[in-house]
Amino acid sequence: MDFKEISTRLKIAKKNIKVVEEEKSGSNATSFGKALKISTEFVSAVVVGSTIGFLLDNWFDTKPLLTICFFFMGVAAGILNVFRTAKKMQKKLDNK
Amino acid sequence: MALNPMHQFTVYKIGPEINIGDINLSFTNASLFMVISSVLILLLLFFGTKKKSLVPSKIQLITEMSYTFIGKMINDTAGSSAKAFFPFVFTLFMFVLFCNMVGMFPYSFTVTSQIIVTFMLASIIFIGVTIIGFIKHGIKYLELFVPKGVPLVLLPIIVVIEIISYLSRPVSLSVRLFANMLAGHTMLKVFGGFVISLGILGGWLPLGFSVALTGLEILVAFLQAYVFAILTCIYLNDALNLHH
Repeated sequence: MDFKEISTRLKIAKKNIKVVEEEKSGSNATSFGKALKISTEFVSAVVVGSTIGFLLDNWFDTKPLLTICFFFMGVAAGILNVFRTAKKMQKKLDNK
Repeated sequence: MALNPMHQFTVYKIGPEINIGDINLSFTNASLFMVISSVLILLLLFFGTKKKSLVPSKIQLITEMSYTFIGKMINDTAGSSAKAFFPFVFTLFMFVLFCNMVGMFPYSFTVTSQIIVTFMLASIIFIGVTIIGFIKHGIKYLELFVPKGVPLVLLPIIVVIEIISYLSRPVSLSVRLFANMLAGHTMLKVFGGFVISLGILGGWLPLGFSVALTGLEILVAFLQAYVFAILTCIYLNDALNLHH
């Protein structure tokens, strides 16, 4: 097998890979992945916010004021996370 | 016991109990499967790089493909300045991938379905990235929490929100991997249980589902390792190049 044959084979193989990748990006599995990514992004921010509020409440003895405040901050942070992730996804789509 | 779908996630110790101070350091089935995954990675990389031929053998091809895959991912998401972190991201990706894949074998244990394992990995990334950011930019790294063009009145709230958003990174990173693996394996076991309880007459439908789910689970195992690695690259990018 000489070098020329190898390079033509490589070209064909690369073409096939590209086709497969394009097919994959539209499939359900990646959409499921995206949905899960966004949802965990939101939930984790709410959990972290509420936890911080709860700890501060225990520390300053202000139950339940800070937990409530930080819960809403967490929701805001979650929305921010979701917004950023969605923006990144949109950028990726535009680049394609 | 056989029909309990959560039974597969129990951690039990193998061999003698080792206590150092108050910390229980016994060798468990989780440790065993981590060792198995690491040994498999070492074997793959060892045999893959042993004979360097121009037309690669299958095992060499796998090794080279995983190398270029991660190299390209780092280059695309974090830029060329992140090339120095290639060994870290590569190790992380291979470890998560092999833990997920080893967990797909019947009677094996999925290490990544334990939240403490994934949270530990995510914490290492989180702390490491924060330290790298501070080393690279000094006190200016805190600018990450102060977006540009925000009115002064809103600034205290925005900064707190940004900090919560930053702190939620390791949580979302670890929970995503853990929840995916836990849910997938529980579902497989539930459908497996249906096959047994419905018997030879009705068991065929859940059996078919099981087969389909196994395929999906292998895809998820790969996808989650990929997501874990790519998010590490994105966080590295934030720390190295300092923008959202």
